[in-house]
Order: sequence, then C-alpha cells, then structure tokens
Amino acid sequence: MPRSATHTARMGALGLLMLFALSGCTHVAPYDRARLAYPSMTDSYESAMSGHVRAVHEGASGGGSVAESGCGCN
Amino acid sequence: MQLKARQAILRVLAVASFLLVLLGPASARADKDNQQDAPAVTPKDVPTPPIAKEVSTRPEDTSTKHVAFEMSSYTDTDNVTVFTPSMNATIENVTQGASISGHYLVDVVSAASADIVSTASGRWNEVRQAGGLEGTYKPHETGFTLAGAMSSEPDYLSLSLGAQITQDFNEKNTTLLLGYGYGHDTVGYHFTPFSVFSRIVQSSTISVGLTQVMDRSTVGSLALDINIENGDQSKPYRYIPLFSPTEAALVPNGASIAWVTENRLPERPAEQLPLNRERISLTGRIAHRLDGSTLRLEERAYADSWLMVASSSDVRWIFDIGRRFQFWPHARFHAQNAVNFWQRAYVSESATGFVLPEFRTGNRELGPLLTETGGAGIKAFLGKAGNPRSLSIALHCDASYTTYLDDLYITSRSSVLGALILEGEL
Repeated sequence: MPRSATHTARMGALGLLMLFALSGCTHVAPYDRARLAYPSMTDSYESAMSGHVRAVHEGASGGGSVAESGCGCN
Repeated sequence: MQLKARQAILRVLAVASFLLVLLGPASARADKDNQQDAPAVTPKDVPTPPIAKEVSTRPEDTSTKHVAFEMSSYTDTDNVTVFTPSMNATIENVTQGASISGHYLVDVVSAASADIVSTASGRWNEVRQAGGLEGTYKPHETGFTLAGAMSSEPDYLSLSLGAQITQDFNEKNTTLLLGYGYGHDTVGYHFTPFSVFSRIVQSSTISVGLTQVMDRSTVGSLALDINIENGDQSKPYRYIPLFSPTEAALVPNGASIAWVTENRLPERPAEQLPLNRERISLTGRIAHRLDGSTLRLEERAYADSWLMVASSSDVRWIFDIGRRFQFWPHARFHAQNAVNFWQRAYVSESATGFVLPEFRTGNRELGPLLTETGGAGIKAFLGKAGNPRSLSIALHCDASYTTYLDDLYITSRSSVLGALILEGEL
C-alpha cells in the first residue's frame, strides 16, 4: 500500500508536469479567450462543508490554502 | 480572558458578515434607482435633457454584490452527523479590480462513533462556528490578497491570517502566485477554561503557484504548498489501548470494542503525537472547455515528515443543459499510507515496568486508508432572461466509502454529504 500510494503520487505529479511541458503553452490573445472565460472554467462546484469534511477524512490534507481556518476537530 | 477575546472576535465577524449582506441590497437598490433615473439610449441628434446630464456626472457604481446561502448535511456509518448552515457575501468591482468577501458557518456535530463508545462515553454534541474575511486588489497585472479566518468551538480556537501576491505575465497567459499563511490554534479541554488547560499549535504555510493558459480552451495550474506545524496536536480525549507483545500479535484488523476491552492491558494512556510536522504538497489542476461542457481535473501529491505519502485525484465534468441548467458527475479517489509511528496494536512492556511507546495515536486518518467518492450535482439558473445566472439554486450530493486497512474497531465507513445552495446577485 505505501509503495502504491507513493507510486501514484509520483506518477500524478510527473503526468502533470508532462502535460505542461507537452502543451507547448500556445499564446492566446485576449480577444480569443471566450471559452476560457466561460463561468464553469473557474466557478466553485463544491459546498462550503466539503473542504472541511475532506480535511477530517484525509490525514494528508492541509497546506493547500494560504488562509484557511483549522478544522478544530477535537 | 481568552474566552472574552474569542467572543469579541466572533461578534466582529458576525457583524462584518451582517454588514456585507446589508450593504449588498442597499447598493443594489442604489444601482436600480440609478438605472431607473438614467435615460434610455439617447440618439446623438437629440438634445440631452438637463436631468440626464446631472445623472451622468454621478460616479457610476460598477460593483456586483453576490450572496450565497448553503445548507449542508453529513452522516456516516460511524454514527456521526453534522448539520451546517452557512452564508457567503462578496462585493466585487471588476473595473477597479477590487473585491471583498466574508463567510460564516455553524457546524452542529453529533457523534457516537466507535472511538467514543470505546471510552464508555455517551453521545457527544458540539457546535463550531467559523468565519472569515478576504480582500483582493488587482488593478492591473499585480494583485494583492489579504485574508483572515477563525474557527471556534468550546475546546478549540483556530485563528489564521494570510497574504498573497499574484503577477500576470505574457498578456495574462501566465500568472505567478506567492503566498504566506499563519495559523494559531488553541487546543483545550471540554468544560475547562483555556487558562486552566490549553496547548498552542502554530503553523506557517508558504505557497507558490503557476497558472498557465495552455490553448484557447485549456487552463492549467500547479501549486506547491509547504506547511510547518509546531505544537502538541494530540487529542486530549483520545486514549490508546495497549497490549502485551503476545496479544498485540493476535489483534485482528477491525477488532471489536468487546475484543479490545477483554484483551488489552489495564493502562490506557492518552494519545501522543510528535510536536512538529512538515508537510509538502504539489497540486495540479486542469480546466478544459469542450462544446457544451467543462472538464476539470485535479491531482495532488502529498508527503510529510511523519512519512505519510498520499495521492488525491479529483474529476468533475460539468455539462450545460440549455442556458438554465448544469449537471455534473464528480469522482474522487484518495490513497494514503500510515505515519511512521502507526500501530494497530501498541505494545506496553509491562514486564520491565510502565514503558509506553513514545508516540501513539488512535486517529485512523493517520493510518493507511483508501477513499472512493462519487457524486453529482445540478444547478438551475433562475434569473431573468437577460441574465439567468443572477439567481441560482444548486443541489450537491457525494457519497464516500473509506477502507481502513489496519485499524481497531472498524474496517470501513460509508458517508453521504449533501448541500443545497442558493446564490444570487443583488
């Protein structure tokens, strides 16, 4: 299990880095960003409570946001 | 003294949130009045009436006010239920690049989990209040954000402050982020003032992020978070059963409360965790716009100084159904190993005296586990034809199944989290 989690984490990080590298990062002009500006590209689709539940359920959470109050789950 | 300070902070947050809500409708009414006063489009060849000139000299309020109310509920097979009403208000001025937002929530927790029952305690109820304020100013390529948050319950107080700076490059195709957050938690004991018993846990978080437009339909981001925590995070109520070396070898995964009670040693010390923890995580997100839908992917790799390593993968596919509805399936998978001092059955060497393991925990979220989550959501836009998104109602529901691979009392847990969210522009 530890080996599997480590492997998955490494592969995930590597995959993301590769995606960035392979994308070529095409320059997109401001007038050509209609699709990027679509609300569902940035809107939140999570409830306020889901982040807290995740912080309690996943011991690996934390350090994911600059200002977030602690879970206080005593 | 600390209790008074906490109450004062709570009052300030509550008043600030209330003012945000009040300010919203008031400004919105002013906007509406202005719109009613202002003339319709005036052709160039028609002389502008004096009243219209007067109106046009007024500074135009281009801000938008946004309010959201949420009602969430959580329940699981370990007899924990949580009910959470919350609200969020934002005032944003896009032309000036400024926004301020506030949130407030109340958690009403009722628990009779296996851990509580194993200590011969009854059902446990608690209320947590949390709130925060955030302000952002980004007039051009450089942006600044300041945020503060607090969370309070009878035996735990958490305060945090954070600051971020963002810088756009390359015609806003690339954005860099640098952030710092500080947290100050006070861990207490039920029905005991903090002045009698409290522990301080401090944390610092440094975040570095990169957001990159990848093509006309895709945006990606990478965020590196480094978090350093100092202080005793051990739970004062959590007691650890100890076993003789012979019995410890026989403890089955998910051993029942009765089995543990019958076979454990008489001593049962409190949990003791290491006094500091350093965490690092790398999170990547990709949002890709397709025809009629948006695909959002997230992968987070995590490691810490307690030798926990984890991976969390999240995917959400948002489908537009006409102009007034959205539907999205959601899936998440989380896997982690155990911290380096994790034991299903801790051993006490009673033969050589009262010798305890230096670090010991019963927090199963520090053990090896797998969690699969599946769910869906639907959102209806109820605003007027010209701006249907000005009012919306959304329903989210996620179900999770966690497998505990090396634990006492339980081997799995199922849970459901539902939320009803009403959002509107004022």
